Amino acid sequence: MRVLLKICLLSLLLASAAFAERYTLRVDGLACPYCAYGIEKKIKALDGVQPDSIVIELDKGLVVFQAEREQRERELAEMVNDAGFTLRNMLVEASP
Amino acid sequence: MRSFQGRLRFLSVPALWLPALLPDMGWAHDPVFGLGPHTLFQGGVELHAGFHQAEQGDKRHQEAELAVKYGLTGDWVVGVEVPYSLREGSTRRTERGSTALTTKYRFWRKDTFARQQSAAVLLKAVLHDADNAQPGTDYLAGLTYGDEGRKWYRWVSLRHRSNADQGGLERPDLWRLDAVIGIRFEPTAYLEPDWVWMLELNGERREATNRGTAKLGGDQWFLSPGLMWTYRNFAVKTGVQLPIADDLRGNESQDDYRALVELEWHL
Repeated sequence: MRVLLKICLLSLLLASAAFAERYTLRVDGLACPYCAYGIEKKIKALDGVQPDSIVIELDKGLVVFQAEREQRERELAEMVNDAGFTLRNMLVEASP
Repeated sequence: MRSFQGRLRFLSVPALWLPALLPDMGWAHDPVFGLGPHTLFQGGVELHAGFHQAEQGDKRHQEAELAVKYGLTGDWVVGVEVPYSLREGSTRRTERGSTALTTKYRFWRKDTFARQQSAAVLLKAVLHDADNAQPGTDYLAGLTYGDEGRKWYRWVSLRHRSNADQGGLERPDLWRLDAVIGIRFEPTAYLEPDWVWMLELNGERREATNRGTAKLGGDQWFLSPGLMWTYRNFAVKTGVQLPIADDLRGNESQDDYRALVELEWHL
């Protein structure tokens, strides 16, 4: 019984890990770190985003995060615009 | 011989308009004394505290200021500012100044890789609700363009402040023209403390007036070094305005300097 329970838990963990996706947003207008805080805050408010996964690379104009729920490009573009920037394009990959 | 009322007017006018000459409160990653097009992210709240000081000969004016701003959209912000006068001339006193309602709208934005160019309009109403104030409202309108990159910053702005007379005493309108350059010597990462050094050229024209006995108005130019230090969502701005040229009328005196320190927190 205990073994069965462990298998179930492990399956659940693997399943959730499999759903996590890594989003790489190419954001235009990212010049200063102080202004980029808005984008961090907006991403944290998205449903299913892992807050610790957010990385902002100013020199590359990239914003990277992982989410356990699917994020639509149109909504992400709106979110980036609300933060005061422009989403140029994005890449979605299975989380490593 | 000058009448008593005339003498009173002459004596009182500079004290009344000196607060209007203090720098306007800054906005986010904008110049220290000039105006930039920065707004706040949608739903964001900005808490702002500032301390301003100006000296004219033996007169010193000190003022503290608190402000709250809110981002209606990524390009439109509204706010309320409440100043507190700490010292007026040789008198040390603490009293609430006039509340200001502000709004800034960024009507144009061009985002490219690691660079943002934008333009915005600012509107501000200064309500004469301070202790001992006469009824009236001052209005300020501004137009600004900014070009912000990872290394260089450039801004230009033009502002006009329409001052309401107080109790029959004249307060000349004010024009401000600013050109600013800023540099970040070392590009910093997102979670590193960030330093941006600025040099501003601030021009100021007080409109001439001959009503009453005081001859007011004239031009002043300042060179203003400034610094903005930020860490993630916290910022400190400081700078000093140093007069370099002036063409002032009879009853105007040149400013020795104006300085400010401002703290800002984005939530």
